[in-house]
Amino acid sequence: MTGNAIGIRKRERKRLLVGLCFISPWLIGLILFQLYPILSSFYYSMTNFNLFQPPEWVGFGNYAEMVRDEKVWLSLYNTLFMAVFGLFPHLAFALAIALLLNKNVRGQSVYRTIYFLPTLVPTVAATLLWMWLLNAQYGLINELLGRIGLPQPVWLLDPLWTKPSLIMMGFWGTGTTTIMYLAALQEVPKLYYEAAEIDGANAWHKFRHITLPAISPMTLFHVIMGLIGALQLFTQGYVFTEGNGQAMGGPENSLLFFAIYLYQTAFSFLKMGYASAMAWLLFLLVFLLTVVVFKTSARWVYYGGER
Amino acid sequence: MQRNMTKPFKLGRAASALLLASALGVSACSDATSSKETVEIQFWNPFTGDTAAVVDDIVEKYNASQTNISVKSLSNQDPQKQLTAISGGNAPDLVITYWNNVGPWSEAGAVQNLEALVQSSDFDASRIIPAALDRMKVDGEIHGFPISMSMANKLFYNKKAFADAGLAAAPETLEQMFEYAKRLTKKDDAGNITQIGFIPDYPWIDNVFWPIIFGGSWDDGNGKLTANQKANVDSIAYQALYYQEFGVDGINKFKSGMGQMNTPQDPIITGDLAMMIGWENWYNDKRGENGEIGVAPFPYPEARPELKQSGMVSPVAMFIPAKSKHQEEAWEFMQYLLSEEVQIEYAIRNKTIPVLLGALDNPELTENESTASLKEFFESAKSPNLNGFPNSIYINEYLQALNEETEKAIKGQISAQEAMDAVVAKMQPKADAAKK
Repeated sequence: MTGNAIGIRKRERKRLLVGLCFISPWLIGLILFQLYPILSSFYYSMTNFNLFQPPEWVGFGNYAEMVRDEKVWLSLYNTLFMAVFGLFPHLAFALAIALLLNKNVRGQSVYRTIYFLPTLVPTVAATLLWMWLLNAQYGLINELLGRIGLPQPVWLLDPLWTKPSLIMMGFWGTGTTTIMYLAALQEVPKLYYEAAEIDGANAWHKFRHITLPAISPMTLFHVIMGLIGALQLFTQGYVFTEGNGQAMGGPENSLLFFAIYLYQTAFSFLKMGYASAMAWLLFLLVFLLTVVVFKTSARWVYYGGER
Repeated sequence: MQRNMTKPFKLGRAASALLLASALGVSACSDATSSKETVEIQFWNPFTGDTAAVVDDIVEKYNASQTNISVKSLSNQDPQKQLTAISGGNAPDLVITYWNNVGPWSEAGAVQNLEALVQSSDFDASRIIPAALDRMKVDGEIHGFPISMSMANKLFYNKKAFADAGLAAAPETLEQMFEYAKRLTKKDDAGNITQIGFIPDYPWIDNVFWPIIFGGSWDDGNGKLTANQKANVDSIAYQALYYQEFGVDGINKFKSGMGQMNTPQDPIITGDLAMMIGWENWYNDKRGENGEIGVAPFPYPEARPELKQSGMVSPVAMFIPAKSKHQEEAWEFMQYLLSEEVQIEYAIRNKTIPVLLGALDNPELTENESTASLKEFFESAKSPNLNGFPNSIYINEYLQALNEETEKAIKGQISAQEAMDAVVAKMQPKADAAKK
């Protein structure tokens, strides 16, 4: 028995070694290019470091400085604004489109393809296109608003409208979310709907009590990924603010997102220690929000076969 | 069997060893010869396209001219790549970069102080345009040299817009310019601006140009920041006048609808914008007698005629990284780039201003057809009223702070004095820390 056990352990050890050898390129990559930078960034966050001279230990000084830094708060506000007012409308929109694309109508695959197409356009190109659409004087959006008698904002130069402009642009890129929702919708057993119909449920009842719970794991996935994406928002803000001749941050810093301020701090001001501390704050924020979402998900996410 | 197999193997091994030895011998010999005579240096620049090709040609000519140094040129190396290489210990020997990197990178220890190299050679730094050389100094010591000079000290104006408004010549003073701007601005029935005379922050908020035009400065040379002195405040108040006159929303809406620079809808070409700040490398083919764009000295404050021909200098810098392995050779090559012959060739081919005072009068340049549109700039590059932002470790933060506060002031949210006081309050502690 013992001998067998030892024999099995030996075999397992050998298998483990072979397995480790197979995944060693990934393991080495993980240690060198992810774990080491992550740990060293934590060390640098406790220092004043300008890349060239040896880091000078300041303990939690950078973290204390962040509390006093108005631009940290402003950039956090801008970022969280986008996370809250950008993410949830985008999810609702993507789900609404997915419900439409789930209807059994003629030319369904064509509609699905057309809706997904904008997702293939690179972010920078899409941003430039939207800058044209949002042109206050000649843009299509203001043209339409003018025709129905609504005010025509100066989208990209008025600090009140810069973030809504970005949120509006985000609707253009919800193709992937929609397609994933579509996949989730197709997995909902038709049996439930049939049973509900027999009980006299209307369309809203079916959507509220069958569809939404059934696709809730997908919603959880989108909420977490969307939050992470929103908190790391960079490219759109960078391109928008470059385009109108402002320094990064846009009119009155209304598009100074946390990631943009972090970039400025690191590469423009050469404060790598402070930027590392900012990166850790961002990590903590993402971590905390993810934990909160996971904790609350027990109340609204339903997994098939579970109570 | 074994013996039969080992024999050829040994023979093969012997033959290989012989080949390897001879190959090593040959390469060793050639190394010995070349290492004594030729040192290879790495020269990085951020340019692409035609500008990079000009640099490559100059390097090629240099390499052909002697055998001591071989320069390897690498273009498209932007500041981030430069930073990565230098901080990673794999520094090139000579780097071209934006001038405002020289301050922070020098203070961080990444840039070689050139004072010793300059003093040990015959190089006469006083031949360089002072305002351009000043941008390369950190704490009064030379840390780099400009390879070319870039300058804003002209007013560009759309000749047709002027003619339509009955204006025969460009304004001479800032007060006159404001009046011209009003005459050159048109609105439609709904009150929307359809043509504007001048936008002080087009194409960007310029927190260096304007204070220079008013004779301002940003520090006293001893670490005391002077952004809130009268001249700087006046320069911002002057810009705010345009926003007061034409309205923040009006200008913003018009700006957002204006065409992009360097496109067929470029507002100064279409005449939608009548006047703008002029740089030497903008609209070269649209200037001159038959061009759409007129060029005049940038106006000065009426009460201060001594500030005529003021302008901002923003040179392209070159420096030797502190970790460069071949500093003397890099300095040797840098001197070649600063020779009159190369400076003139560079200026002609890239349509730039040379950094040597002597080159500004060289007939090869001044009588050259292809640089005719730059003549006025060559002349005004000698002006004693040229200035630029002082280099320091906190330069980029300082510029950013100026930008943020100036924006509020020109839109009328705070006064110009409040804006500049806020900048000094924020930046003085950083200047004090840098001084220690």
